[in-house]
Amino acid sequence: MDLSNEKLIQMYRTMKRIREFETKAAELFAEGRIPGFVHLYIGEEAVATGVCANLKDSDYITSTHRGHGHIIAKGGDLKYMFAELFGRETGYCKGKGGSMHIADADRGILGANGIVGAGHNIAVGAGLSAKYRDTDQVCVCFFGDGSTNQGTFHEALNMASIWKLPVIFVCENNLYGISMHQSRHQAIQDVADRAVAYNMPGVVVDGNDVLAVYEAAKEAVDRARNGQGPTLIECKTYRHRGHFEGDPTVYRDEEEVKEWLQKDPIPRLVEFMLDNNVVTEEEIKKIDEEIAAEIKEAIKFAEESPFPPVEAAVEDIYTDIVEEVRS
Amino acid sequence: MKTITYSEAIREGMRKRMRENPNVFILGEDVGEFGGCFGVTGDLVKEFGEKRVRDTPISEGAIVGCAVGAASTGLRPIAELMFIDFVTVGMDQLVNQAAKMRYMFGGKISLPMVVRMPTGAGSRAAAQHSQSLEAWLTHVPGLKVVYPSTPQDAYGLILSAIDDDNPVVFLEHKLLYAMSGEVDLDIEPIPLGLADVKREGEDVTIIATAKMVHEALAAAEELAKEGIEAEVVDPRSLFPLDKETIFKSVEKTNRVVIATEETKRGSYAGELAAIIAEECFDYLDAPITRVCCLDTPIPFSPVLEDYVVPDSKDIIDAVKKLL
Amino acid sequence: MKSIGIIANPASGKDIRRLVSHATVVDNNEKVNIVKRIILSAQGCGVDRIYIMPDTFLIGYKAIEDLKISRELKIDVEILNMNIKGNVMDTIQATKIMEEKGVKCLVVLGGDGTNRAVAKSITTTPLIGVSTGTNNVYPQMIEGTVVGMAAGIMATGICSIDDCCSKDKRVEIFRDGQLIDIALVDCVISRQKYVGSKAIWNMEDIDMVIVSRAHPASIGFSTIVGTSLIVRTDDDFGALIQVNTGSHRVKAPVAAGTIREISVGEVRSLKLDEAFYFKPGYNGIMALDGEREVPFKVGEEYQIKVTRNGPYRVIIDKTLELAQRNGFFKR
Repeated sequence: MDLSNEKLIQMYRTMKRIREFETKAAELFAEGRIPGFVHLYIGEEAVATGVCANLKDSDYITSTHRGHGHIIAKGGDLKYMFAELFGRETGYCKGKGGSMHIADADRGILGANGIVGAGHNIAVGAGLSAKYRDTDQVCVCFFGDGSTNQGTFHEALNMASIWKLPVIFVCENNLYGISMHQSRHQAIQDVADRAVAYNMPGVVVDGNDVLAVYEAAKEAVDRARNGQGPTLIECKTYRHRGHFEGDPTVYRDEEEVKEWLQKDPIPRLVEFMLDNNVVTEEEIKKIDEEIAAEIKEAIKFAEESPFPPVEAAVEDIYTDIVEEVRS
Repeated sequence: MKTITYSEAIREGMRKRMRENPNVFILGEDVGEFGGCFGVTGDLVKEFGEKRVRDTPISEGAIVGCAVGAASTGLRPIAELMFIDFVTVGMDQLVNQAAKMRYMFGGKISLPMVVRMPTGAGSRAAAQHSQSLEAWLTHVPGLKVVYPSTPQDAYGLILSAIDDDNPVVFLEHKLLYAMSGEVDLDIEPIPLGLADVKREGEDVTIIATAKMVHEALAAAEELAKEGIEAEVVDPRSLFPLDKETIFKSVEKTNRVVIATEETKRGSYAGELAAIIAEECFDYLDAPITRVCCLDTPIPFSPVLEDYVVPDSKDIIDAVKKLL
Repeated sequence: MKSIGIIANPASGKDIRRLVSHATVVDNNEKVNIVKRIILSAQGCGVDRIYIMPDTFLIGYKAIEDLKISRELKIDVEILNMNIKGNVMDTIQATKIMEEKGVKCLVVLGGDGTNRAVAKSITTTPLIGVSTGTNNVYPQMIEGTVVGMAAGIMATGICSIDDCCSKDKRVEIFRDGQLIDIALVDCVISRQKYVGSKAIWNMEDIDMVIVSRAHPASIGFSTIVGTSLIVRTDDDFGALIQVNTGSHRVKAPVAAGTIREISVGEVRSLKLDEAFYFKPGYNGIMALDGEREVPFKVGEEYQIKVTRNGPYRVIIDKTLELAQRNGFFKR
């Protein structure tokens, strides 16, 4: 098996779109143009990209509070994402969700999630649904190392395993549960070890190497589609920025950050592609320019979009009931 | 018409919908061969197999979460929690996920799911298996909450709950499971949000839910002997709430007693009282009175439990104080 | 000083082979337990000092702490004072430091990758490779207690290296005359281009296999040779074979749980130190002991040799038998 040049370029494009989206989001947040909290995916791009490169539109994902990358990798539209971050009517969730709740049912994105560990069981439900309806769909559940200390993680792995559901549990181990280093928050170093307790394969991959992630995810997705059940993939990675924008990150030392910056997944892929004549520097420059233009356009779209009418606040709670407006 | 129990009525409702729609399925602890902790799912596994009547591990979070995932991807799950008390374990999935997903996602997803929860005191099961937590659930925008008091209502409401495209919490009072009644299995589903006047009267309105409906009816019979005619209104669905039927009754009787099995502090009974006070104050001739459990955990010893949980005598006393 | 060293790799036993060849992930707490058993057993066999490589999971610290709490630790156990990187460089550095400290035996817990890293820098210290997974060609599956005994026997000097050890062969990879990497058992030349998840398992991409030893029971790509020709550790030759070409068909256990039928050319033996010249006609990668390591390109020139420059490997059974004859176990 080898990756086609087309696939490699597509993965580069995805990683770069995530990186640029997040970089812009950080700027806009710092300028006070995006309200609320944002949790950025910068540094972890290879995980969402390598995994989602194996998925079809009809496959499902569940995401986390750090979800922008997953949504972009699963095919999310940057326009509607930015519009949502800006709280506009044209956003993915009509401005009712914001950064932590972006979803796109048409692309199987069952939502970013503000509750750590909440996606695990929803993913199991989606996996059950795919198997129940006898489709070849799979569900990828993205989550962080911190969430593996939630009971939901254990419940979900257990249930997915006993029912042999097509769920791929992808742990983005970025070494910290908010401020707490993994060595302090769990008695293991590899979340993958926990797979043993649920009778499923557990594998550790370099989460900053999109090719390694792609390969592992491919095997896991194939297993899931073939009815062989769930897999736990742990991707060792690092968030370049704080837990949230504005986090002073006093809990990690500069050396550690510096080391991880050197393992940045994007230059690694670029180097590989240049080295193997997959692309030229000019072609990369062209892709980068396209992405920059797309982002500029998306921000423009978002900022020019209207805020939702206040009455919209009472809609969309139920399919058939609109709550009372303020009188 | 057929005479069946409350428990059988719920089962027959599920059976009907499962026959009609292959995407309706049941999941929960011991719902399969064991037939459910209270026997509600009974023999359904024989007809529909383990795929559609699915035993789960003891993982309430996963049961509710799995229902959320399945409902958001095209199925219509009916999840059973063994006791309402265990919803605490699955609360995140119910409150933060099921109830909010549609809203958070701008209305682009719907969650046609039912979570059934055996509720209420009286089975000498003590503090962790006897609660009435309807106030917690009705408090959450995004959930519908149903609580039938008779076999016929249970049947009609379970059909609607399954048909609903939103998460519906279906409360079942444990002491009513064995209650028999005439049930028309061919009726139209009872819409959620339609109250039922279980007894007509002019002197006082008793709004009661589930088992307290029967306590209220017993109280009304006693009161009638003394010439007091009580009207008993059963909301049946706590949200959506049929305010119109309630207000109409209050307009007629001008006096209200609310009887639920909840602890009084922060109860749904309090919410009903507030709604009536806000919107029907002019029709009231007396303070609204609540008859609820004492503000204690449910105790084990029968003498203690019976003391804490209200019954028809407490309702009679409350009514008499108002007149 | 009767000292030994322990290198335990926290990253071993977790790679993609869990997915592609029905292997189980090896949890690090079990590695801590194995280290504890090695320490206690070595202590019981006369070792008075043990050095342990520091690692990101703190395997050594955890083992020491537990043994102190249970009051079983009687000897000095020291964690090497070195900065750790959390990668293969830690193993290479620890090997050097331990040799400088004069350990009489080095115990390595890990897979082929870990043993290969040790073999790159080790000189004369005997090595015991302890497998912590299902998919290894070089280290052995063996109980820590027995490992500790053998290491203890080596440390006390009751048996000599010449009597108990095999001087292993290795495959050496030279580019432009420079030694760039080694394999202990096999070097697989593949058309795959990238390192990715490291392990190699895609048969169809493989072009050639060069081995220092080969046996049908030594699961891995060397069995492609081993199913036609046995190459023992004491044979003064290696071998190479072309794969996915040629008129012969063999079936070989190329990975745990995987018997594959493969077209091969003639096995060609390679004398010790004889250079095989490889000028790639495509961009690809060399996998060393099963791990994709050395990417190569058209236009580069490689020499591949089988030499006797591998580590001194302790032959456990032989060591224990000799110790028994020498009265080691008598009180």
